[in-house]
Amino acid sequence: MQIKIENLSYVYSPRTPFEKTALKDISFTVNEGDTMGIVGATGSGKSTLSRHLNALIRIQSGRIMLGDADLSQRKVDLKAVRKKVGMLFQFPEYQLFADTVRKDVAFGPMNFGINDAEASAAAAEALSLVGLDIAEVGDKSPFELSGGQMRRVAIAGVIASKPEVLVLDEPTAGLDPAGKREILELVKKLKSSFVKTVIIVSHNMDEIAEYCNRVAVLDEGRLIADTTPDGLFNHSDVVDNTELDYPHTVKIKRKLAKRGFVVDSPALNVEQLTEGILGRLAE
Amino acid sequence: MKDVTLGQYYPGESFTHKMDARAKLVLVIAFIVMVFLAKNFLSYIAVMLCVIGAVLVSRIPVSKMLKSIKAIIMILIFTGLLNLMFYNGETVYWSWWRFNVSLEGIIFSVKMVLRLVLLVMGTTLLTFTTTPTGITDGMESLMTPLKYIKVPVHDIAVIMSIALRFIPILSEEVDKIMMAQKARGASFDTGGLVSRAKALLPILIPLFVSAFRRADELAMALDARCYNATPNRTRYQVMKFGWRDLLGALGTAAFVVLVVALNNNFWGAYRAVESVWWLFAV
Repeated sequence: MQIKIENLSYVYSPRTPFEKTALKDISFTVNEGDTMGIVGATGSGKSTLSRHLNALIRIQSGRIMLGDADLSQRKVDLKAVRKKVGMLFQFPEYQLFADTVRKDVAFGPMNFGINDAEASAAAAEALSLVGLDIAEVGDKSPFELSGGQMRRVAIAGVIASKPEVLVLDEPTAGLDPAGKREILELVKKLKSSFVKTVIIVSHNMDEIAEYCNRVAVLDEGRLIADTTPDGLFNHSDVVDNTELDYPHTVKIKRKLAKRGFVVDSPALNVEQLTEGILGRLAE
Repeated sequence: MKDVTLGQYYPGESFTHKMDARAKLVLVIAFIVMVFLAKNFLSYIAVMLCVIGAVLVSRIPVSKMLKSIKAIIMILIFTGLLNLMFYNGETVYWSWWRFNVSLEGIIFSVKMVLRLVLLVMGTTLLTFTTTPTGITDGMESLMTPLKYIKVPVHDIAVIMSIALRFIPILSEEVDKIMMAQKARGASFDTGGLVSRAKALLPILIPLFVSAFRRADELAMALDARCYNATPNRTRYQVMKFGWRDLLGALGTAAFVVLVVALNNNFWGAYRAVESVWWLFAV
C-alpha cells in the first residue's frame, strides 16, 4: 500500500494568539516496502506529520492517500485506517492500562472487531514476536513488569492488530543500547512478516542511517529533503545547514577524509565503514 | 481538551494585563460583592456596564468571553428552570402539580441567570488577564497576615501553583493517551452511556499512573534542590501597586456606589426615575 502525501499543511490553534504553523505544504510518497525515516529538530513538525498518517489529526489542507483511501474525506472509515496503520508513540509503556498483559495486548484487536478467541491468539502471537511468553507474563499486571518489558508489551499491543504500515515515534527513546538494538531488530523482523512499510520518526541518525532506505528531513514545518540516507549524509549539505547531526560512522569517515584518508563507502553502518577502510588499506 | 477556557490565560498587553495581580484579586472580590448587592434591573444594568467596560479595557475577544459562558450553560439552564418552577410568586400564570410559573418567578430566575453569567464573566476576566503564577503570588501576598497565626501561607501558595501548573501538563497527557488508545482502535464518542464510561478507563488508568509518577518525581526534585530550606525566599518579579491599580480601584468603587444608589432609587433624590418605577420595583 502506497502512502501519498500532497501539499499537506497544518496550523495549531488557528486564529488565536497561540497560533503555530506545524506543517507547510509537504508532499512526498512512501512506497510499499520502504523503511522511511523522518528526521528534524524538535518542533520541526515530525510528530504532527506522523499523527496525520492514521487520522489521529484530521487534515486541514492538502491530501493523504492511503492506498485508495483518501484521508482528507470527512467520511473516511477511521477504524479501517487505524487497523492498517499502527502507531507506536514515544514512551508507549505509559499507555498500558489493563489489569493483565493479555488483556492490554488484546485491546487493539478487540476494538477492531475480532472475537475473543482470535484476539487472544493474536495477543499470544504478538507477545512472542516481541520476545515475551504469554504463559509467563500473560496474567501479570503490566505494572509489575520491568521498564523494558513494559515497552515490549506496549509494542505487542500495537502489532497485535497486524498493521500493514507501522509508524514509530522515537521508538528507542530512553532505552539502553542493548534495548535500542533489540527494538530495531524487532522492527526488521516485523518487516519480513505482515508489516509492509515502516516509518520511523527519530533524532538518532545512527538508527536512520542503518535501518532506513529513505529519509525525509523536516525543518520548521517544511520538507527540505526527501532522499536516501546515503544521499543525505554523503552527498548533500542539508545536515550542515540544520540542527541535525551525522551518524557516528559517517563522522569517522569525514574525519579520516580531512586527514587525507578518503574512504569510498557510504559508511552508513559499522560494517560498511570497516569494509571501506579495509578496502582502502588493501589498495 | 484544548477548548477548556475556564481559567486559562489569554496573553495580551492591555491595561488589565498590566495591573497588579493583588489589585485584580481584590477588585474581583469587590465585583462579586457588587453582583450580590444588585437588587433591581437597573443595578443589574450597572453591573453589566461594569463587566462590558472591563472586557473592553482588557481587550479579550468577545468570542472568548462567550466561550466561558458556554462552559456553564447547563448550570444556567438548570438553575433558571428550577427557580422558574418552584418560586412562590403571587401572579401565577401556569401551574401543574407542584410547579408554579409566576411573574415573580420569571423575574427571579432571569436575575439568577444574569447573576451567574456576570459572576463567571467577571471572574474569568481575572484568569484571562493574569497568569496562574500571578494569581498565586497575589494570593500569597494577600494572605501574608495569616502567617502570624501560623498558617503555612507559602506552602499553600506553592501547592496551588503546582496544581495550576499541572492542569495543562495533565491535559496534554490526556491528549497523548487518548491518541495512543485511538490508534489502537478505541473510540470515545460512540455507544451508550455505560460503554462510553467504560471507554474512559484506558485513559484514566494511565493518567493516574502518570500523575502519581510525576508527583513523585517533582517531590524528589524539590527535595534535591532544598526547597523551603530558607524561610524567606525572594522573588524574580516584585509586585507593585501602580496607577493602573488605583484607576481600576476607583472605577470599581464608582460602580459599587452606583449599584447601591440604584438599589435605593438614589434615596429618593432622583424624581424622574419614578416614571420607570417598575424597573426599581422588580
